[in-house]
Amino acid sequence: MRNLLRLLLTRHAVYVLVSGLLLGGFQWLICAVVASTDVTGALGTLVQSLPPMVQSMVSEQFFGGFSKTSLLAFGWAHPVAQAVGAALAIVLATQAVAGESEAGTIELTLGQPIARQTYLAAHVVFTLAALVFVTLLGLAGTIAGGRFYGLEPFRLVALARLGLDYLALQAALFGLTLMFSAFGREGGRVALFGFLCALVSYLIHVIGTMWDGWRPLVPYTLHAYYVPKDILAGSVGVTRPVAMLLAVALGGLLVAWWRFRQRDLP
Amino acid sequence: MPALEVSSLAKRYGRVHALRGVTFAVEPGEIFGYLGPNGAGKTTTLRILLGLVRADHGTACLLGEPPGRPASRGRVGCLPGELRLHGGMTGRALLDHFARFRPSRPPVLRERLLEALDLGESDLARRVKWLSHGTRQKVGLVIAMQHDPDVILFDEPTIGLDPLVQRAFCDLVRELAARGRAILFSSHILSEVEAVCGRVAVLRAGELLAVESIETLRARLVRRLEAHFRGPTPDGLATLPGVMRAEVAGSAATLWLQGDVNPLLRRLAGCEVEHLVFPEPQLEDVFLDFYRGREGRG
Repeated sequence: MRNLLRLLLTRHAVYVLVSGLLLGGFQWLICAVVASTDVTGALGTLVQSLPPMVQSMVSEQFFGGFSKTSLLAFGWAHPVAQAVGAALAIVLATQAVAGESEAGTIELTLGQPIARQTYLAAHVVFTLAALVFVTLLGLAGTIAGGRFYGLEPFRLVALARLGLDYLALQAALFGLTLMFSAFGREGGRVALFGFLCALVSYLIHVIGTMWDGWRPLVPYTLHAYYVPKDILAGSVGVTRPVAMLLAVALGGLLVAWWRFRQRDLP
Repeated sequence: MPALEVSSLAKRYGRVHALRGVTFAVEPGEIFGYLGPNGAGKTTTLRILLGLVRADHGTACLLGEPPGRPASRGRVGCLPGELRLHGGMTGRALLDHFARFRPSRPPVLRERLLEALDLGESDLARRVKWLSHGTRQKVGLVIAMQHDPDVILFDEPTIGLDPLVQRAFCDLVRELAARGRAILFSSHILSEVEAVCGRVAVLRAGELLAVESIETLRARLVRRLEAHFRGPTPDGLATLPGVMRAEVAGSAATLWLQGDVNPLLRRLAGCEVEHLVFPEPQLEDVFLDFYRGREGRG
């Protein structure tokens, strides 16, 4: 397992580091924006010029009243922040089986004295470690940016919960994509399925929170259980959302493991 | 006990029969040729032995254990037919990476192999993706043999190698076999199997046509000879002993021979021959005889 982990680190270290720096840099930037301009006032004025129904949707569903806390939380709910983690989770899951099969490298690797479960476990361990690393860099960006720009600091516990929820969301995407990967032979197609899962979940969640017609669908999306604003504000517990996301991750991993054990390779 | 053994092995991919009841065994110290055209089922057999593909029927045994057990693969070396390496790593890093999978079997043969296959430090210092196909193949061969495995599975091992390196590789294979290593040598090139193997299994469309010694195979091989004459082609070539078939076109004749070629050579010695071509026997020439034999039996 150590040898495989070393190989994965050699191959993906730069990508993981860049992802972490991107997320951390983005959170720092959000702090800078929040501190340097009267964003709440500006957005408030902007929203007041909108029709009443749209005003209500934007202020309640997206920014929760435009407090600085909710704006910082918005940095974690922003598509950029989500895309960084999701891309890492989806790419690494795709690479694990389908990508290596397509590249042909899995044949020589599994011709060595390693069990299939060890191979898959190494990919899971590496990806989870990479996601933890990226999440920590993101949180570091929020903390350092907040201190640098003199913003009111969040409680560390609240930030840890936020990080856990972010990590659980990416773990769920990883689990689902790994499941596709275990069935697939073409990396491109598997990655597409992974991205579609993330995109469809995100879109249904966004539309469902704005439009009553789709509201019943919201609980069936992954993003319904990713609630950075509520976690930072302390209005919801982290246990249920994280448990739901981890259950999806575990389900995906179990199906991936079941399929990978019995499939022909490459 | 055979080093590797397959019995009644069958595998289907959808409607395609990749293997139909293949049975053979390879003893320690033996170089066993596995001969067949592309798509015959050679790679599928090797993948079953490595536990990468599951057989629908039959059994496979590697060093007394069923395939798929990591412990048995520790004593095995393999070179896949479609060798793909992690392109971002250097050759040296890749050799070290694969050596670390077997802490109890250090890469004792590495330096010897590097020297024999003419792989220099400059090649090993470069990223694999920048190496030529032939050099990548050499790296693959070192990976397969560096830990001095008890069983080696080669799938088309000489593809991309230049003739000098091919010869060095064949010498290495003979040397390993002389030290008791069992080698399964899968190829579609008759001449290289003929050059190194003691026994050969001939496979076509997933079906094992024969398992026999290389001498027997050589004796039943139908070889082709092209003769160009100064003047018309002499009569009676087709009826000479050993000539299975003759095609005459003007002053040129193509003859298919089996067994002793001397009666034909004596006949040709009395003719004005412009030139003779005795092409390298092709795999099709082997199958020609097997099909003829079957038709005869049918």
